Amino acid sequence: MSSVRDRNESAWLLPADGARTNHRLRHDMRRFDDTDEVDLVVVGCGAGGSTMIQRLARAGWRVVALDAGPFWDPDTDWVSDEAGSHHLYWTEPRVISGSDPVPLGSNNSGRGVGGSMVHYAGYTPRFHPSDFETYTRDGVGADWPIDYADLKPYYEAIEEELPVAGEEWPWGDPHSYPYRPHPVGGNGEIFLRGAEKLGVTAKVGPVAIVNGRFGNRAHCIYRGFCLQGCKVNAKASPLITHIPDALAHGAEVRANAMVTKIEVDERTGRATGVHYVRDGVSRFQRAAMVAVAGYSIETPRLLLNSACDRFPDGIGNDFDQVGRYLMVQGAPQTAGRFDAEVRMYKAPPPEVSTEAFYETDPSKPYQRGFSIQTVSPLPITWAEHIAAQGHWGSDLREYMSDYVHWSCLGALCEFLAQPDNRVTLSDEKDRHGLPVAHFSYSQCDNDTQLMKAAQSVMEDILHAAGADEVITIDRYAHLVGGARMAADEQHGVVDADCRTFAVPNLYITDGSVLPTQGSANPALTIMSVAARAADRLARGARNGA
Amino acid sequence: MSVTSGAAPRRAADGPPERFPGFDVLEQSGHWDAVTSGVVLSRVGMPPDIRFFTPAEQAVATALCDRLLGQPDEDDGTGTRLPLVNLIDARLAEHRTDGWHYHDMPTDAQAWRDTLAALDADAQEQYGTGFATCAHDEQTALIQAVQDLGSDPWHGLPAAHVWSLWTRYACTAFYSHPTAWNEIGFSGPAYPRGYKNIGVDRLEPYEVHDAIPSDDPLRRSR
Ligand SMILES: Cc1cc2nc3c(=O)[nH]c(=O)nc-3n(C[C@H](O)[C@H](O)[C@H](O)COP(=O)(O)OP(=O)(O)OC[C@H]3O[C@@H](n4cnc5c(N)ncnc54)[C@H](O)[C@@H]3O)c2cc1C
Ligand code: SF4
Repeated sequence: MSSVRDRNESAWLLPADGARTNHRLRHDMRRFDDTDEVDLVVVGCGAGGSTMIQRLARAGWRVVALDAGPFWDPDTDWVSDEAGSHHLYWTEPRVISGSDPVPLGSNNSGRGVGGSMVHYAGYTPRFHPSDFETYTRDGVGADWPIDYADLKPYYEAIEEELPVAGEEWPWGDPHSYPYRPHPVGGNGEIFLRGAEKLGVTAKVGPVAIVNGRFGNRAHCIYRGFCLQGCKVNAKASPLITHIPDALAHGAEVRANAMVTKIEVDERTGRATGVHYVRDGVSRFQRAAMVAVAGYSIETPRLLLNSACDRFPDGIGNDFDQVGRYLMVQGAPQTAGRFDAEVRMYKAPPPEVSTEAFYETDPSKPYQRGFSIQTVSPLPITWAEHIAAQGHWGSDLREYMSDYVHWSCLGALCEFLAQPDNRVTLSDEKDRHGLPVAHFSYSQCDNDTQLMKAAQSVMEDILHAAGADEVITIDRYAHLVGGARMAADEQHGVVDADCRTFAVPNLYITDGSVLPTQGSANPALTIMSVAARAADRLARGARNGA
Repeated sequence: MSVTSGAAPRRAADGPPERFPGFDVLEQSGHWDAVTSGVVLSRVGMPPDIRFFTPAEQAVATALCDRLLGQPDEDDGTGTRLPLVNLIDARLAEHRTDGWHYHDMPTDAQAWRDTLAALDADAQEQYGTGFATCAHDEQTALIQAVQDLGSDPWHGLPAAHVWSLWTRYACTAFYSHPTAWNEIGFSGPAYPRGYKNIGVDRLEPYEVHDAIPSDDPLRRSR
């Protein structure tokens, strides 16, 4: 593979003087007119969308990306503070239901250029080869229309671009990382100690956090605010890993532009562009091709809200597939108490992981598995843990005053894709007058068993490390699916290349297309799937014909 | 505002014992970046005026939040007392909510109004006076009754979702405040300086060790 800089110059396009944003590059950005028929308009500038525009701008395409949120400047827009980071989250109205409703907001999708990766933790594991064929191997979930080998070169490319730091990785398809592992803080130390005592293999990484220097991106300063946006430019997000290179190659990023509808020509059956609202003004961007990358809730919502005569139930929904098979990972967090001071807020929350429990274990009553990672909640999130134990009043204050003594691990359990876990449209409207998403979630038996199993392993690790007490809170993380990739239109919304079955020049290139989720954090896979889709487009016909 | 009042190491009513003597996170504010300082220091200054709650709602919310976070009454004059209701009111007035709501709950703003009215009604029914004018132990009993319902309905709403609404907002307000950070030994903003000493029992020069490290509340409660 050619050197990273030859493929993606983003890190070198950032300023070298300590500022975090190249204002000149943004100022000089190419700007298209609404009436220009661009080669591609992308909806959403997060993990999937940013990768698309960087790749296709490099291939010479005329591309515009619209994002509903701001074009962030880490220097002026982000703070080193938990409550002050509320504006990083997608907080437009949404309704949740089901037997296990999944709270959204701060634990969920982001907004603005960079998408949810602005406030993601920064873990970037690959999926395992088994994730692409869980139905064949384990009789659950679904098989992808592509397999691990199809994604592998894209995993390798993106790992270099982020870039990822970590130890030699023994799980799944064993591989190494471009950067050495980071030193660990108190929480990572406890995890490694407990795992070793228990005979469980745990490794440092894999995190998309600069260790050393990479272009003009600075080394991590171990300040622990990764989930609040990295003011240092050490943690990767597309804002700094893909957008600068896209702009340098003539892409336009139009921020604060909320897309409200995809337009399809009734006669030709092809998408002609997108309607969007910017500064209160309704506009229409013409395009020869549309790619939607608005996250697993907003993407299905936009397809449903784009109903027209040809697609009365929403675009791509002829077989009632849009919004279905949405997945979250069960993410119980177990904390242990030590007389020593762990001070888990020092160092990045993502430090150490184990994937030793990832695959189906035939001796267990459940299918598939879970991974375990360090998570290091800051005080407000930690208060949620304590309140979840039922404490309140002066009792809560006393438990909270013990904060520095706690270490916290989180599991990611592979919940199975189910058709009724889905997004539909609610009767409620947002401020644009558009129906908001209604997201229903219920666990199946296998899901519940995985949660319990993961909790008991985390308790064992913490006890082995010397914890005298452990507490657990049940949470969820990482939504994917909702417009999944499948072999045909009766089982999904897009094909192996992310092209919708229904509209030949409409693509979906975000986490929505994932048919299974493994127990890996999804961002690296989302970027790799988008990079593959872009690669196929760049090699083929420009108009998706 | 100081974390503790008297010399006694433990004060049951008004919060935890002082575990990090002399630790004051605001002394480090000179090392914070300007944008973060602006956000954090604004919480130390004048609390925002009440705009969302009616006076009647404000009274119930104040008593509720004070009990939820173990704060003394305003005229008590001792202990930590943070303007929780002003901070919650500001979020509701400015629509700085999380956006989502349970299908069996109204939006957060309406849910606050409805549940404060319901709590007041419970107080009237049981003690013949409004929630705000009930004695502390009566308020505590009324709040405890909601928590004890678990997922059963309370005034037509799932009690667990009401409980989560109250505690989420109250805890976010309380633990966003530097005074609360002093109480738990948290060092607050860390940009641009970062941390030099990471690892178990490793402190920065300005961090203060817990004075009573074995005072594990869990252990004590057994
Ligand atoms: C707290 C937290 C921690 C996480 N930690 C990790 C982690 O450690 N590792 C990991 O791999 N993943 C993590 N994730 C998940 C990860 O960030 C997401 O899975 C990933 O970013 C999703 O990519 P996406 O392309 O689907 O959407 P996003 O990255 O969310 O991008 C969607 C973009 O579309 C925009 N948009 C939406 N609708 C519209 C519209 N109608 N018009 C215009 N723009 C629109 C949004 O503003 C947003 O910018 C974490 C998430 C959270 C919340
Ligand atoms: S800990 Fe490192 S990566 Fe995380 S926000 Fe701080 S500097 Fe960035």
